Amino acid sequence: MTTLVFTFILLAASLLAGLVGALTGLGGGVVVIPVLTLGFGIDFHYAVGAALVASIATSSGSGSAYVREGITNIRLGMLLEIATTLGAVAGALVAVWLRSSVIAIIYGAVLLLTAAAQQRRCSDHDGVVGSAMARRLRLFGTYPQRDGTLKAYELRHVGGGFGVMLVAGVLSGILGIGSGVLKVIAMDGIMKVPFKVSTTTSNFMIGVTACASAVVYVQRGNIVPGIAFPVMIGVLIGALTGARLLHKLDVGLLRRIFCLVILAVAINMIYMGFTGGFEH
Amino acid sequence: MNTPSHTTDLQRLIAHTLRWGVTVACCIALCGGVLYLVRHGAEPMPDYRHFCYDSAATQHTEYTTLAGIWHGICAFTARSWIQLGVLVLLLTPLLRVLISLIGFLRERDWLYAAITAFVLSVIVLNSIGGC
Repeated sequence: MTTLVFTFILLAASLLAGLVGALTGLGGGVVVIPVLTLGFGIDFHYAVGAALVASIATSSGSGSAYVREGITNIRLGMLLEIATTLGAVAGALVAVWLRSSVIAIIYGAVLLLTAAAQQRRCSDHDGVVGSAMARRLRLFGTYPQRDGTLKAYELRHVGGGFGVMLVAGVLSGILGIGSGVLKVIAMDGIMKVPFKVSTTTSNFMIGVTACASAVVYVQRGNIVPGIAFPVMIGVLIGALTGARLLHKLDVGLLRRIFCLVILAVAINMIYMGFTGGFEH
Repeated sequence: MNTPSHTTDLQRLIAHTLRWGVTVACCIALCGGVLYLVRHGAEPMPDYRHFCYDSAATQHTEYTTLAGIWHGICAFTARSWIQLGVLVLLLTPLLRVLISLIGFLRERDWLYAAITAFVLSVIVLNSIGGC
C-alpha cells in the first residue's frame, strides 16, 4: 500500500470515527484505536498517540459550541481535573513499561465498561440535595433548559467522584482516550450531576487530561505526523458533522447497534491480548 | 455567585479560542499533509507495525523535539509542519485553562484560581520534565 492510499483510507476511517464518536457520545479517540490496530495492524503504541490527538480534536472542536451555551461547570471540571491530570501523568509514566497485549486487554476492559454504561438511562437527577463539601466548594450551578429558563442543581459525593477521576486519568494516560465513560460514571452515577452538565463538563475535561500526557507522547515519538494529520482532520470534520446531526437524528437505534459493535471489539481485543496477537 | 457579564465575556473568549485554535491547527496540519503526500505519497507506507521506544524518539527529532520541529519548519520538512499543527492543537485546552485562571482571578475566587494554577502547572511541568 502506498502512503497516499493509506492516508486516504485513514482519513475516511477517522471521519467515520469522529462521526460515530460524536453521535454515541464516546469521543473520537475510542473508535480510532481499533481502526488502527485491528484494521491496519499498527502497533498499539502508535494508536495511543493517534487517540490522544483525536481526543483533543473532539474535545476542543465540540467544546466551542458547549461553552457558549453555559452548560459546562468549569469549577467542577477544574477541581476534578486535579485528579485526572495527576492520573494522566502517572499513566503516561507507566505506559512505557506496558506491552501491547497488556494495553489491548486494558482497552478491552474499558470498552466492556462503556458498553455496560450505554445501557444506563440519562437522568437529570431532579431534587438532589447537595453535600456540605460540595456547597463549601461552590460546585452547585445552573444550566439553561430548552425553554430558555435556568435550572439550578446541586451535587454530592465529591470525594468518590474525585477517586474515580483519578482512575480515569491513569487510563487516559495509558490509552490516550478521554475515558469519557469513567468521567460520566463519576459525575452522573456518583455525584448526581445532571446529564447535560456531566457530558459537557466531561468533554471539557477530556481535552485538558489528554493535553497533560500528550507532550510526553510527542517527545517519545508515539505521535507520528503520517498518522496524526489524517486522524486529526478526519475526526474533527466527523465530530463537527456528528454534533450537527445529533439534533436531527434519532440516535437510539444507532447506539444499540454500536453497543454490539463495542462488545465484539472488546472481546476481540481481550482475546488477542491474551493469545499474544499483538506481539508481532 | 458569578458576575454574569464577566462570565459570558470569558465564555465567548473560550469559544472563540477553541474554534480558532482548532481551525489554525487543522490548516497547518493540512498544508504539511499536502506537502507530505506530494513528496512521499508514492512511496510504500511506512512500517508502523513495530514501535521501539529506544529508536522512535531519537531517530526522528524532526517531530519529537521542539528544536527539531523548529529546524524542520525552517527547512520545510513536511513532518515538522504537521507536528506544528499537532502542537497548536495541544495548546487549545491549555489556553482554555489559562483563560479560566484569569476568570477566577478577576472574580477574586482565590480557591479556584489556586486549583486552576495547580492543574496548569501539572501539565506544564510534565511537558517540560519529559525533555
